[in-house]
Amino acid sequence: MFRLTRIYLSLAIWGACWAALRADDGNTPTASAKVDYRKHIAPLLSKHCFRCHGEKSQEGGLRLDVRQRALTGGDSGLAIQPGNSKQSAMIARVASNDPEVRMPPEGARLLPAEVELLKRWIDQGAKGIPDGRPSSSNHWAFQSIKTPAIPDVADSNWCSNAIDRFVLAKLENEGIKPSPSASPRTLVRRLYLDLIGLPPTWRQIESFMNDESADAYERLVDKLLASAHYGERWGRHWLDLARHADSGGYEADMPRETWAYRDYVINAFNSDMPFDRFVVEQLGGDLLPIPTMAQRIATGFHCNAMYDPGVRFESVIYQVNTTGTVFLGLTVGCAQCHTHKTDPITQREFYGLYGFFNNAIMMPMDLATGKPAIPPTEKTKVQPPSSLIMKYTAHPTHIFLRGDPAQPGEQVAPGFPAELDWQPAKSWWGELDGSPSRSVKNRLDLARWIVSDKNPLTDRVTVNRIWQRFFGLGLVSTEDDFGVQTPPPSHPELLDWLAREFRRKHLSFKSLHRLIVTSSTYRQVSVTRSDLSDIDPGNRFLARQRRLRLEGEIVRDVWMYTGDLLSEKMGGPSVFPWQPESVLENRATPAKWIESKGENRYRRGLYTWFWRLTPHPHFPLLDGPDAVTACTRRGRSNVPVQALTLLNDPTFMECARKLATLVVAMPSATDRQRLDFLYHRCLGRDPISWEIAVLKKVISDQRRRLATSPKQAEAISDGHESPAEHAVWVIICRAIMNTDEFITRE
Amino acid sequence: MTAKRHLNEPLSALALEQTRRQFFRRGAGLSVAPMALASLLDQDGRVFGEEAESVMQTHHRPRAKSVIFLHMIGGPSQIDLFDPKPEVIRRDGDTLPESLQKKLTFAQIQEKQPRLMGSPWKFSQHGECGATVSELMPHIASIVDDVSFVRTVKTDDTNHMFAELMLNTGWRRFGRPSIGSWVVYGLRSESQQLPAFMVLRSGMRPRSKSANYGNGFLPSKYQGTPLRSSGDPILNLASPPGFTEARQRQSVDAINALNRIRYEQTKDDEIAARIVSYELAFRMQSAATEWLDLKSETPGTFKQYGIDDAARPSFARNCLLARRLVERGVRFVQLFHGDWDHHSAIKAGLPSQCGLTDQASAALVRDLAQRGLLDDTLVVWGGELGRGAVAQVSDKPNVAVGRDHQIEAFTMWFAGGGARGGQTIGKTNDFGCLPETEPWHVYDLQATILHLLGLDHTKLTYRYQGRDFRLTDVHGNVKHELFA
Repeated sequence: MFRLTRIYLSLAIWGACWAALRADDGNTPTASAKVDYRKHIAPLLSKHCFRCHGEKSQEGGLRLDVRQRALTGGDSGLAIQPGNSKQSAMIARVASNDPEVRMPPEGARLLPAEVELLKRWIDQGAKGIPDGRPSSSNHWAFQSIKTPAIPDVADSNWCSNAIDRFVLAKLENEGIKPSPSASPRTLVRRLYLDLIGLPPTWRQIESFMNDESADAYERLVDKLLASAHYGERWGRHWLDLARHADSGGYEADMPRETWAYRDYVINAFNSDMPFDRFVVEQLGGDLLPIPTMAQRIATGFHCNAMYDPGVRFESVIYQVNTTGTVFLGLTVGCAQCHTHKTDPITQREFYGLYGFFNNAIMMPMDLATGKPAIPPTEKTKVQPPSSLIMKYTAHPTHIFLRGDPAQPGEQVAPGFPAELDWQPAKSWWGELDGSPSRSVKNRLDLARWIVSDKNPLTDRVTVNRIWQRFFGLGLVSTEDDFGVQTPPPSHPELLDWLAREFRRKHLSFKSLHRLIVTSSTYRQVSVTRSDLSDIDPGNRFLARQRRLRLEGEIVRDVWMYTGDLLSEKMGGPSVFPWQPESVLENRATPAKWIESKGENRYRRGLYTWFWRLTPHPHFPLLDGPDAVTACTRRGRSNVPVQALTLLNDPTFMECARKLATLVVAMPSATDRQRLDFLYHRCLGRDPISWEIAVLKKVISDQRRRLATSPKQAEAISDGHESPAEHAVWVIICRAIMNTDEFITRE
Repeated sequence: MTAKRHLNEPLSALALEQTRRQFFRRGAGLSVAPMALASLLDQDGRVFGEEAESVMQTHHRPRAKSVIFLHMIGGPSQIDLFDPKPEVIRRDGDTLPESLQKKLTFAQIQEKQPRLMGSPWKFSQHGECGATVSELMPHIASIVDDVSFVRTVKTDDTNHMFAELMLNTGWRRFGRPSIGSWVVYGLRSESQQLPAFMVLRSGMRPRSKSANYGNGFLPSKYQGTPLRSSGDPILNLASPPGFTEARQRQSVDAINALNRIRYEQTKDDEIAARIVSYELAFRMQSAATEWLDLKSETPGTFKQYGIDDAARPSFARNCLLARRLVERGVRFVQLFHGDWDHHSAIKAGLPSQCGLTDQASAALVRDLAQRGLLDDTLVVWGGELGRGAVAQVSDKPNVAVGRDHQIEAFTMWFAGGGARGGQTIGKTNDFGCLPETEPWHVYDLQATILHLLGLDHTKLTYRYQGRDFRLTDVHGNVKHELFA
């Protein structure tokens, strides 16, 4: 009997233990197996202990996140006695039933299983606590990328490709079923919006529905990847990282010409330029042996930094920080002032990176001649097109004490951080042995270091960001920070497998996109599942897709495209669509906004001129980036001022009005047929009876009211020949276009 | 549901959950045909919005209902305004004692031996309490009996950008919710017509921009709604031509009905938030138009605030608008005004900033008091950092002397909302550079503001990425001396 109770008890403990571990990563060490600090203990300590005994706070003098400190204990003596959990105060404290003694003093107490884990870890020698600065020995993101084995799953029928096996293996482990595939119509709209940023027409949807071939979906994917709009959609994501804008920022906010760089990015995506070449050209295109015009324009990437002649060093710091965020997923900027224990980069090393960009100036290049652009004089009022590029110019670099340029310290040469020590890639641009013998490293060396296949960070960071675009959240949820204080990836093996696959496919973005969008994981429905609302509210397990509100430019593009106004013209100088006059008031330096004529009023949002100080109001309103620092993820805010704009702004009204013109032009159609047309065009589906009922009531009410209010009808219709009927449909179009679904990728 | 769970959950999500349950009970699925089309379209259609706004929960009895936070960007020079140092005047030109210098963090001064600079402005005592205020702030001097000065506020970062974030989000980097977002997350709004957290700006923008009033990881509906600082404060408040109020009402009802149908199919809370947003937008159209229309204010009021031209954006106009907001039940109003960053030419720059702000700040407090609103409204005045006792001398010619940053001690003031008037809390040393009494860390300030609103800063938490976050992280003590 006694024995039996013990067995039950231990079963209960292990049941709880299993449940606790399940919440972390599903890896349950069996009773004899080794407890892994990184996998099992660090998350536990982080959850319960580090807030008071970590980097920021050391209650009672105890710090548990650094080996030396953890083992020397705190004011009240040793906390951990390696090999002897019974003698370890830590165990006594977390297991105590006395609330005065028990740790943590507030919040949830440790589960019996967690205590058990801690005990076993201590009994096994309390190994694995990192000592000091993060490095490849103690942080996953700095460890080299391996090619993980593709896991076996029970329901292999669900899987379209390897991605699904990684996702499903985890789901099966959790006992969660994936969601079914979204309807074909939803999938078509999802693909169009994700890959080209425009919705499909009804004809395009129907042609897909009628295509009975087995590879219809894959062919649609290929068709969209080949669309020129693909470059606009994915180029804009890159421009977010590049901080692209048409002015220099700061109070002066002087205009600058950088549209050629924007077009370079669009073209690079459309031609599926391999990522390593894309990086090399943008960081050091000007330093290539015989740089082409495009390669020099590519260096505009870092000319996007805000610039003010009085504080040039700030631009250089922006360049270093952007490089860290975009390519390494590291917030190197913290080392500007002093070295931090939790960052892999020292202050000295920060200025090593600074040196690469300090040895450069930005200058405008004449796009016709490739020579430096000459500032306009009285005679040459019209300046030929130019683009800002980087040019090598040596400047000595000093450490700034406390980050202050007025306190220059020791001089440093351009170089790489010691903890991020790997072999740079070989060059393919003509240097003999791939290890040039320059005495001073330059931006090309930096680029070779970044694109190296030995670099564990850049590929992970890049595929993670791509993943985030399709699912709303990266496998690493802190897409801009892969440092030690960030949560581990939800699917570490999948992340590495994707990174390796990206390499294997020659760093082709289109291949990576194809891989992701053809997975069953991507194709799931986006409906919220009540069975997951408690266990996985953030959809970390990927048991469904997510509904994502479209980005600001895309919201506008979709309105204009549906309203039959959008110009599909690509590239060229930025344009000036209508905006309220008051936007440019109260600037220190005046700015011009000469409204564009003709189709330039209706170009895609990414071609709109961007004054950093006073951007076109539609973009900040809908969470557009501010172009100050690299934007790795846009917000998706949902506030009343957005509703006011989509309801009342003249640009959006114009779209509704134009769409209504198409509706009333339908010969001898019933209201129902007209509503069908609008649902097909706006949402890519048939309306359901409830929607028809809601809108028919509005139609009948408004028809009645507008018949007796001709002035109001004329005001709404604005010049249409049958204003009353047109106005009714303007109201209906505006309502449908204001639905959540219209601006959401389902 | 336990009380604890209640407090740890986003209140609006809770409200939506209740609404959703009611919605389903009533509708039992939309497939039941003409169930209540009318209810989808008419008043019932608005229930979604109203219920979500009406939940309010405090941890203890609140003293204040609203906050007006006057953030003086750049760091006002407290040694020239509120914390006089005769010793510095006496030793003007002497070097700062080396023992002190080691304890200070300058932002820009690089001289080995910076020299003391006494305030060129006169100080005198005012009110019944006898608080000492500089001649640069004559209007604030006239309200000292309603004001608590705290002279020992301290922060952690000499960099404006990070000090701003520290003051407003309790964290020196980007990504955390602002204090206003935390407050409306905890308390929601009393207004059904206006956003619960509104932001008005004049002069220079804060360096950390919208992160100062962002929602961080809190749901997006808690973010501050910024008003534009030039032109129309809110764009598109008017319906398009031909859209009468009834027509706009029917349009918004139709949009919300369509969104509810989609909500039932997807159960996506973003749709619920959008329904709330559209409903509030509709109400704002009339409410904000009315709120922004200053015609109902008397010439006496304009004079009191020092508003010459009510059509022109200014700090003074923003103060008046802030009073009108709290009158209308808005929970948290934050004004940003810059720039007080007088590294150079402080003798010209500081009087100029005082001229732009002194009268209106005082008028705001007095006006609130006259209208019986001051007891429920906490007014906070201060910058993200302060300025030092030594001169900052430029090596460039023709650049006049200024003062560098000081983060170890600076002055902020409080009025109303339970803060006791007529007191000066804290004492700095003879050079005004270090506290001699218990300092008020910015975390303490945040804890105290939350406390006055009835919120316990250790209990106002939000679970994110597996951790319960709070505004004050693991720090902060309520400073009872402010209101005891």
